[in-house]
Amino acid sequence: MPSIVSDDLLRHLMAVGQVDVLVGVPTLNNADTVGTVVKAVHRAFVSHLKRERTLLLNLDQGSEDGTPAIVREASLVDSETVITSQTLRTVHRISVPYHGVPGKGGALRILFTAAELVQARAVALLDATVTSVTPGWPERLVRPVLRGEADFVAPLFDRHGLEAPLLTQLVRPLMRAAYGRRLAEPVASEFGCSGAFATHCLGQEVWDAPLAQFGIDIWLTASVLAGGFRAGEVRLGSRLQAAPPSRPSLPEVLRQVVGSLMQCLDLHATSWLGRVGSEPLPRFGGEPEAGPQAEPPAIDPAPLAEAFRVGARDLAPVLERILPPETAAEVRGMAEADGLPRYPDELWASTIVDFAGAHHHGVMHRDHLLAALVPLYLGRVASFAAENEGSPAPAIQERVEAIGQAFEAAKPRLAEAWKSERGGEAWPN
Amino acid sequence: MDELWYKDAVFYELHVKAFSDSSGDGTGDFRGLLARLDHLQELGVDCLWILPMYPSPFRDDGYDIADYRSVHPDYGTLQDFEEFLRAAHARGMRVITELVVNHTSDRHPWFQESRSSPDSPRRDWYVWSETDDRYRGVRVIFCDTERSNWAWDPDSKAHYWHRFFSHQPDLNYDNPAVREEMWQVMRFWLDLGVDGFRVDAVPYLIEREGTGCENLPETHDVLKFFRRRLDESYPGRMLLAEANMWPEDVRPYFGEGDEFHMAFHFPIMPRMFMAIRLEDRKPLVEIIERTPAIPASCQWGLFLRNHDELTLEMVTDEERDYMYEEYARDQVARINLGIRRRLAPLLEGDRRRIELMNGLLMSLPGSPILYYGDEIGMGDNVYLGDRNGVRTPMQWSGGWNAGFSTADPERLYSPLISNPVYGYQAVNVESQRRNDSSLFNWMRRIIRVRKSTRVFSRGGIEFLKPANHRVLAYVRALGSEKVLVVNNLAGTSQAVELDLRGLAGAIPIEMFGGSLFPRIGEAPYVLTLGPYDFFWFKLRWL
Repeated sequence: MPSIVSDDLLRHLMAVGQVDVLVGVPTLNNADTVGTVVKAVHRAFVSHLKRERTLLLNLDQGSEDGTPAIVREASLVDSETVITSQTLRTVHRISVPYHGVPGKGGALRILFTAAELVQARAVALLDATVTSVTPGWPERLVRPVLRGEADFVAPLFDRHGLEAPLLTQLVRPLMRAAYGRRLAEPVASEFGCSGAFATHCLGQEVWDAPLAQFGIDIWLTASVLAGGFRAGEVRLGSRLQAAPPSRPSLPEVLRQVVGSLMQCLDLHATSWLGRVGSEPLPRFGGEPEAGPQAEPPAIDPAPLAEAFRVGARDLAPVLERILPPETAAEVRGMAEADGLPRYPDELWASTIVDFAGAHHHGVMHRDHLLAALVPLYLGRVASFAAENEGSPAPAIQERVEAIGQAFEAAKPRLAEAWKSERGGEAWPN
Repeated sequence: MDELWYKDAVFYELHVKAFSDSSGDGTGDFRGLLARLDHLQELGVDCLWILPMYPSPFRDDGYDIADYRSVHPDYGTLQDFEEFLRAAHARGMRVITELVVNHTSDRHPWFQESRSSPDSPRRDWYVWSETDDRYRGVRVIFCDTERSNWAWDPDSKAHYWHRFFSHQPDLNYDNPAVREEMWQVMRFWLDLGVDGFRVDAVPYLIEREGTGCENLPETHDVLKFFRRRLDESYPGRMLLAEANMWPEDVRPYFGEGDEFHMAFHFPIMPRMFMAIRLEDRKPLVEIIERTPAIPASCQWGLFLRNHDELTLEMVTDEERDYMYEEYARDQVARINLGIRRRLAPLLEGDRRRIELMNGLLMSLPGSPILYYGDEIGMGDNVYLGDRNGVRTPMQWSGGWNAGFSTADPERLYSPLISNPVYGYQAVNVESQRRNDSSLFNWMRRIIRVRKSTRVFSRGGIEFLKPANHRVLAYVRALGSEKVLVVNNLAGTSQAVELDLRGLAGAIPIEMFGGSLFPRIGEAPYVLTLGPYDFFWFKLRWL
């Protein structure tokens, strides 16, 4: 059986020995941004975590732009030499390639394995593409763990209410309703966790599945919420990210993110089915350092609305197999109405819950099912953007909160879908 | 006679009052010390450093000298001292005495005469001022007790300068008469046969406006004056400097081999403690690599503990905080900028750590200086005030007063350590001499091994830097003779791969047991070390 950890990495880890904090930074052609992240981690080690034994582990998936070299040299600029010389301990940094299962899951598996080998008390993961990372991020993510107050620490970013619509309109409220915990960033690339939690995760049979390749973030947070681990949130400020050279298409994103979430609902059904209502997660730490503020995104609802209309019309037969007749009729009615669609929270929550039920029962090929969700999602985004255009940010945040409440109201419907004997049958036309 | 004997010597620092009481008055004395010389010879000590034994009001444990040409009556007579000195020499041991040159007691006749009148012939032997505005900004060393370096003398209605306690007025070395008199004091003891002096507080001899009044060129002129006189009349005697400074600031006290023969390396000491607590070689490697080269005739003095607090002056604020948190969480253990604990309690009585620390002491460049009682792992009593908790009676046996004195226990100059862990019933010379595996017998062995080669005392050092930072490895070399030292600073077993290609072909011979290890080749040399283990390998190309 091939080892998860290469001999090269093992030799590095042997040299490092036990650590208190392990920070992982997976990379793939991040030469433009990784230096910022590594320097932030390094500064965190020497200024915020100077008493702890620390290790930065860079796992590179095969960059061709010199990313590993930048990682190795990022902290050795003259301006930081003085800081380095003032640290009590040796500052450890490992950069190794990995050739395991492609995708973030493979990197995370190695990170967790390394954490177990060096008996890390706390582990943090950072995203090499984020440009707003500060030295406070690693410290805030691991401090509650080091204090024994949490097994998992999720970030809390300062987001505009119209930003990240897939998160605010779908993933966050659905997880809140299902798992009964209000987690703001269930698909964040950043988190902190205990070494014990990392070891627990390693023991799960997920690492060789597609879920690990495409939905490890969501699986991780869902596992935290389902497993009863002590979780909390820390404010990190704004999250600004470098534009990737290419983006997956929206259908692909929905397939990966929403599909992963729905798989998780299946995995954890016994945990969440009986939960009622929701509770906020505890917040750790103080206010974040002042960072660059995210601009409100410019959303033109018109093309989204048109895509909704066309998609809802063309996919009507498919949608009628997924949605109950009354829901399908309401969606159809919206699509046929003039002007921008008005997609109410309650109807949107019912739509997603019904899609989840259909996904659970496998009423059709799940990729097709998720593809059918695309136009409805666009219609909902168009509706929300139009409804809140020009609204002050706090008002929009209140509306975002209302979505969560609507999903919670739909929880009995979600539970009923799981408990029903519908099997693989579609709704009758 | 080898005039560089101090480079190879193992020093042993002791208080006469604390070592052994022959008269039964509760205070140690020279006759008592003489009777215990066999213990020191057995240990392997080469040179005794006698803490202040002069007449003194004892407001600073004898560092407040009231008469430079006599012995405190509690310790015996000058004749007793001479007999002790002869006996030590007869056993091949040298003796250096403490010499406080910077200041005297305010009870010293010189000061009494000086303060008696502005017109006194000795007025200019001390540093007087009508105001306390001079030398502003100069740091106060005993910051826990003193607020200023000036003290008001109501008799002569003037301020006098003192860098230490206010009852310790500084001598004025701008006055040639003071220099000459202090040299005559040195001559007095040298003529009796003393082998040298540990010179106290040397950076502070001269004051100049606009400076920190430390390490001034004029101070070096004074010291060169003493050294020149010493070399002219007393070859083979030595001067050991106490200058609690960074190594680059101490370096000038060696001059070009024309000031001090030896100087303490203060910053190494706390970093040894830091290194084993951090389990990281970084602090030690950094300070040693930062240490400048010294003239060939000179030597650093290394120590783990001494009669003062474990001084944390020569560390960063962060390092000091760390040391306090790790070694002195109890505030009562802290004094000035340091920690008033002995070696064994600092290391929680952990024999492995005590051995490792002594292994470092004996194998790093410099002459090791042991503090009395640490060879048996004596404890301390932080509740005795000032630094008296590390100056308690030597524990010779489990009997009456630990074999230190026949006096009533109430009459002892200091309470004995009597707790169940470090008390004299548990920790004493007699029981440890009988036990082959005792710390005392282990100390004998490591001293013997150290002295089996001059590599440790005179050789250079080159650090190996294996990836495992918990391992501190270095090669000591003197000519073709080489010793490889590998220390595990961690409390867990460690594996280490050493790049020894430069030593390829050598057979490592473990120096304590003589075991042969595999010949060094081109491949990484793998060693595994248990918690706090260390190896000394003599490398032989055979």
